[in-house]
Amino acid sequence: MKGRRGLALWFLLPSLLVLAGVVAYPFLFNLWISLTNWNMFHFQDPSFQGLDHFAKILGMIVEPFARPPSQWGAALAQNEFYRIFGKTFAWTAVNLVFHFTLGLGAALLLNRKLPARGLYRALLILPWAMPQYISALTWRGMFNVEYGVINQLLAKVGVQPVPWFSSEFWAFMAPTITNIWLGFPFIMVIALGGLQSIPQELYEAARIDGAGPVRRFFRITLPMLKPVLLPALVLGTIWTFNNLNVIWLVTDQGLPADKTHILVTYVYKAAFFYYRYGYAAAFSVFIFLVLMLIVRGYDRVSRREVY
Amino acid sequence: MEPRRAPLSPSRAPAAALAVAALLSALLPAAGGCSRSDRSRTVVVWEQMDPQEQVLFDEHVAQFRANHPEFAGFSIERVHYRVEDLQTQFQTAALAFGGPNLVYGPSDKIGPYSIMGLLMPIDALPGGASELARFQPEALPTLNGRVWGLPDQVGNHLTLVANRALVDSIATDTDTWLRQLRELTVDRDGDGKPEQYGLVFNLLEPFWLVPWVGGFGGGVMDDQARPTLDTPAMAQALGFLSGLKQARVVPLECDYPLADTIFKEGRAAYIINGPWSWQGYREVGIEVALAPLPMVSGTGTWPAPFTSAKCYSINRYLDPATATCTAALLSWLTGPEVQLDLARKLGVQPGDLTAAAAPELQSDPAMIASRDQIAKGRLMPIVPEMRAVWDAMRPFYQSVMNGELEPAAAAAAMQARAVETIEVMHE
Repeated sequence: MKGRRGLALWFLLPSLLVLAGVVAYPFLFNLWISLTNWNMFHFQDPSFQGLDHFAKILGMIVEPFARPPSQWGAALAQNEFYRIFGKTFAWTAVNLVFHFTLGLGAALLLNRKLPARGLYRALLILPWAMPQYISALTWRGMFNVEYGVINQLLAKVGVQPVPWFSSEFWAFMAPTITNIWLGFPFIMVIALGGLQSIPQELYEAARIDGAGPVRRFFRITLPMLKPVLLPALVLGTIWTFNNLNVIWLVTDQGLPADKTHILVTYVYKAAFFYYRYGYAAAFSVFIFLVLMLIVRGYDRVSRREVY
Repeated sequence: MEPRRAPLSPSRAPAAALAVAALLSALLPAAGGCSRSDRSRTVVVWEQMDPQEQVLFDEHVAQFRANHPEFAGFSIERVHYRVEDLQTQFQTAALAFGGPNLVYGPSDKIGPYSIMGLLMPIDALPGGASELARFQPEALPTLNGRVWGLPDQVGNHLTLVANRALVDSIATDTDTWLRQLRELTVDRDGDGKPEQYGLVFNLLEPFWLVPWVGGFGGGVMDDQARPTLDTPAMAQALGFLSGLKQARVVPLECDYPLADTIFKEGRAAYIINGPWSWQGYREVGIEVALAPLPMVSGTGTWPAPFTSAKCYSINRYLDPATATCTAALLSWLTGPEVQLDLARKLGVQPGDLTAAAAPELQSDPAMIASRDQIAKGRLMPIVPEMRAVWDAMRPFYQSVMNGELEPAAAAAAMQARAVETIEVMHE
C-alpha cells in the first residue's frame, strides 16, 4: 500500500510543481504585496506595513455603522464600498439566474429529437465560442442610443429609445444582457451532457407511475443534474463575480460617470490607474474571501442528498 | 478480448515517474532557455500606434535593416496594444523585470513610468546624450532633470477638421460656429434623428473638454501639479459643451469610434480630432481642411488643446546585449528621415529640428493650420497626478452631458475627487 501511495505521489509531482508555480506562488505573492506599501513611489523598494490596507478596507465596511442606527440606510446608500459591493452581488445574481434558466431551457430543448438539432446546438454555442473582447465591443456598438441596432429594433415596435449609457439602471442592464448572452451556452453544454447521461428507464418508470412532465423534471431531471450543475454554478459564480472584460468594455470604463463598477473593476482601477498595488492586492484578498464563503455555501448544498 | 497488460511493478513505477518528471523538467528550461537566447538577439517594441502608423513603422524598420547590416543578427519585433493595455502590460512585465526594449506612446505615460523606475534615461544609452540636441526642447519629456524618451512627432493635439464638401468657410469664433452648426445639422425626414450633424467628437472623454477650459480662461493643473478644476472657466466650458448637445448639433451619445465613422461617411460637417486621424479621412475620399478650434466669443480667447509628443522610451531592464542595436534603432526611428516621412504621409509635426525646418512642411496649408493650433495649445503635464485629474474629470463631465449635474457642481466635484485621488496615490 505504501508503495502504491508513493507511486501516486511520484506521478502527481509534475502537476504539483506546476500548481505551485501558477497558483500557490502568485497567491502568496499577492498576499505579500497586500502587506506592503507597494505603489508608484515605492515600486522598486516596497516595505512591509502590516495590515494597514486591510484596516482601511475594514474601515470602509464599518463606516456606515459608526453612525446612529437611524442613519444607517442613508449611510449605506452613500457609501462607495457598499454601492459597488451591492452592484457586484446584483450583477452576479442576475447573470446566474439567467445563465441557469436559459442554459437549462436550451439544453432541455436540444435534448429532444428536433430537425437540424446539430445546427441549433452550434448556433447556441457561438456566443461562448466568440472572444469576449470582440463580443463586448460589438454589443457596446449595438447599444448606442441613436445608431445601435437594439434601439432601432425597439423603435420598429414603437418603443422609445433606451438611454443605454446615460442612465445608471440601463448602463447596468447593457453589460448584464451582454454577459447573459455570453454565458448561458456554458450551462447549456454542461446540462446537455448531464441530460444525456440520465437513464431513460427512470422516465419510463415515472410515466408508468403517472408522473407528469413537471413532476418528472423536478423529481428526476433536476436531481440527476445536480452533480454536474452545482460545480458549473460555482464556476459561473466565480467567473461572473470576477468578470472584468464585459462590464469594463461594454460600459467604456464605467459609464455613466463611474456608476457601473463592480469590485473587480474597482481593484483594476486602483492597481493600474492609480498604481496602488498594495491596496489593490489587499482588496483582491477580500474578494477571494467573499468568493470562498460563497463556494462554501455551494459545498454545503451539494452535500445535501435530495433523492 | 483485449490483451491484458502487465501492471507496472512498484519497483519500476518510480523510475517511470521520474523519467516523466525528468523529461518535463528538461523540456521546460529548454523552452525558457530558447526564449532567453532569442531575447538577447531581439529588439522588441511595444506600441499603441494607429493602423497607418503601424504600416509606416514596419517600412521604417525595413529601411533600418537595409541601412544597418551590422545588426543583421538581430530581429526586430513590433507588438501592438490598445492604449490602456499597453500601460497595464508594461507595468506587469516590469514586475517580472521583463518587457520590451522600447515602449512607444504619448509622453503623458512617461511620468509614472519614470517615477516607478521602469525607464532608462536617454543619456544612459550609448550615444544617447548627443541625440538630445536634435530636438525642440519642449518636445522632450523631461522630469526631475532627466529626459525619458525621444519623440518621432509632436502635437498629438486636437484640431477642428472640416469636411470641405459641406463647409465653405470655417468659422473662427464660437458664435458664428454655433449658427453654422445649426444650419449644417439636417433632419430630412423629421424623425428627430438628424441624417447629418454639424459636429461630431468624442463626448465621453475629458481630453475633448480641456481645450474649452482654456478657451474660457482656465486650466486643469497648475505648475505645482495641483488640480485647478473648480473654476468658473471649467463650469463655462462644461456649459458650452452640454449646450451643443442640447442644441442637437452633436449626436446624443457619441464615443470615438462613432464620431470617426459618422465623419468618414460624410454625415458630419466638422469633427474635432487629432493628427492620428487626418490621413484616414483623406483615404476614404473626404476632402478635409484643418483649422484651430474657434475662438470663444465671450472671452476672446482661443481654446487650448493639450499638446504632447509621441515618444519611444527605453525599458530599464533592457538586455545589455541588445543595447547598441536598440540605441541605433531609436536614433533611426526618431531621426529626420523618418520624421519627415511621417509628416508627409500622416500630416504630423516633426519634433526633430531639421525635419521641422523642411521647406515643404513650412509651406503646406494643413501643416501651417496644425502648427497654428499647437501654438495655441498647452503642453500636457507628464506628472502622474495628471491621471487623477483625468479620472476626476471624466465621470462628472459625463454627468453634465447627461443632464444629471449642473456645470458648477460638476466642477466642484471634479476638484474634490482629484484632490482625494492624488492623496491616496501618495499614501
